[in-house]
Amino acid sequence: MKRGLITWDRAELPRSVFDTRLANARAAMAAAGVPALLVYTDIWRANQGRFLTNFMPYWNRSLAVIPSEGAPVLLCGLSPRVYPWIESVTLFEEIRPASKLVPTLLKLCEERGWQALGVLDLARVPHEVHAPLAAAGLALKDVRLTTIDEAALAMHRRAAELARNILGDVLPAGVGITGHQFAGRLERLFRREGAEDLVILLSAGATAPLPATAAELPVAYSVSIAVEYRAHWARVTRAHAAPPALEAAFAAGGGVIENLSGPYPYELGSGPLTARHVEITHAGARLFHGDTCWQGVPL
Amino acid sequence: MEERGWDSILLYGHAWRKECFRCLVNLNFTGPYAAACLTRSGDLTIAVSHPWDDEALSGIDATVTLEPDFAAAFARANPSAIAGMEFAEQHFVDACPRHPASATDHVEELRRVKTAEEIAILRRATALADRGYRHFAEVIEPGMREFELVAEVEAFLKENGAEHNFMLIASGGTEVVGMKPPTERVLQLGDAVTTELTPQVDGYYAQICRTLILGEPSAKQREAFAIFQEAQQAALAMLRPGVTAADAARAQNDVFRKYGYGEYTGSKYTRVRGHCLGLFPDETPHILEDVDYVFKKDMVIVAHPNTYLPLAGYMVYGDSLLITDTGVEVLNSTAKELFVKL
Repeated sequence: MKRGLITWDRAELPRSVFDTRLANARAAMAAAGVPALLVYTDIWRANQGRFLTNFMPYWNRSLAVIPSEGAPVLLCGLSPRVYPWIESVTLFEEIRPASKLVPTLLKLCEERGWQALGVLDLARVPHEVHAPLAAAGLALKDVRLTTIDEAALAMHRRAAELARNILGDVLPAGVGITGHQFAGRLERLFRREGAEDLVILLSAGATAPLPATAAELPVAYSVSIAVEYRAHWARVTRAHAAPPALEAAFAAGGGVIENLSGPYPYELGSGPLTARHVEITHAGARLFHGDTCWQGVPL
Repeated sequence: MEERGWDSILLYGHAWRKECFRCLVNLNFTGPYAAACLTRSGDLTIAVSHPWDDEALSGIDATVTLEPDFAAAFARANPSAIAGMEFAEQHFVDACPRHPASATDHVEELRRVKTAEEIAILRRATALADRGYRHFAEVIEPGMREFELVAEVEAFLKENGAEHNFMLIASGGTEVVGMKPPTERVLQLGDAVTTELTPQVDGYYAQICRTLILGEPSAKQREAFAIFQEAQQAALAMLRPGVTAADAARAQNDVFRKYGYGEYTGSKYTRVRGHCLGLFPDETPHILEDVDYVFKKDMVIVAHPNTYLPLAGYMVYGDSLLITDTGVEVLNSTAKELFVKL
């Protein structure tokens, strides 16, 4: 679950940013000829719902419904007791309890007279939502939207800068302590800076970066961080005691490329926003270097 | 598989719901997806979605493939049934040449009764939950922000080997009706600070729920907490193999009813009176008055009568429990009291 700070700083992401995104979504709905857009969201598959509404179901799942006219509606798997908090950090003014998501959605469709629905990335909706929805007799249309704009890019950049700054300072402190101890230190530093989530992978030179263990980190080690700052992921990988050849290998291009504009920070694939890393072997140790890139260039 | 006429089961996990996969292959995978396909004859094939997961499984006695297009893993496995099918993206299910059945409930039932090895891991997870709560109580002070407190606890748990943690928090007085992720709220003297702390060790989650008062507790805070203690004790006194989840919920709720707070046992004010623990922090069965599941020896559960009361706001109190032959063993060693930080 998300245990970091989930908030909406209106200075970072003004309401007007969301208004523009909703207008784009409504244009896509009009093009698809649907009266509303359904956005599935769970703790990891939250990027699209967050982009449009700033909602994050921190340990649960929900459906966001964007009507072509009128305010978005949240069909919420979380308790009504947390609705005031949801309202304080999202666009939603109407939230309906939905321990059973699809029946609640079908009731909303009936109330509004909707015979068709647009669904964001229809094929990637989980089976338990997709199957009853497909059986309900509604016309479902796949809708695609980009979830990157200038405001989002600025947030990804901020997340990447946070990771670079912290790793730049803390890498020497990892030498000689256990992977667990170093992971704890990173958790404290990142979460105190407002990180919403963090994935820490470490390599002591013999393996790829993997979840932390109780083994001590040697002088030559690498750390791969995925940090989520207010819903925007960044990936930064750095090595301690790295020779210049490592950064040179990264600067030369190539390496492994992952798509950072989807829901998962470690998902192979391409796109304009990516994580790219390279690996070299130096003095018998595998060393890794990587960064968050926009159109191939570090963000 | 034999009973149901299945020739293979695919155990699927994604970043949020790893439990079906991890019950067979205990890898804390990094990529978005992983799946293990077990045939009736015992052949095991594993598909992962990230090269570092592929590398982590090198040497395992199974065929391991890296599948950048994960639907291909479903197509190749063509399983009779899928555990975790409900969470799988629809195009994965559609990729199966035949229509698979859901094996989620069957596998979940197999997972509920823990082996001796699993119980040993859950004891370690519970010990870490206890140490984590002790750290929580040591570092908390007025003036901290909720998210700063959580950062300290998270750091402690990770330093001490936790893979992950499920943690909710709330702070304040009678205005607090439930827990949520941490906010920027500044902790103040007089606050009741509630937390549900659930570290994951080697895949398994154990939980502790406690309430701490910053400063001297008020008479109403003490009165409220005594009701929670009595409610949990009522569950502990009757839980044993053969008791239903409904019985355990009713035993706790009846204490609230006895004091005139019956309305605060419903879904408007609370969620569940406990749940099973394991590879997911909120395993079923949930302890509710309409759940007739019969508890079995060697299940590990948490009983927590957490709810809102008008006396002092939302409070929590819960321990991880092992169901034994004759009753329950409380796995947590943390003092069973209202914590106070003066």
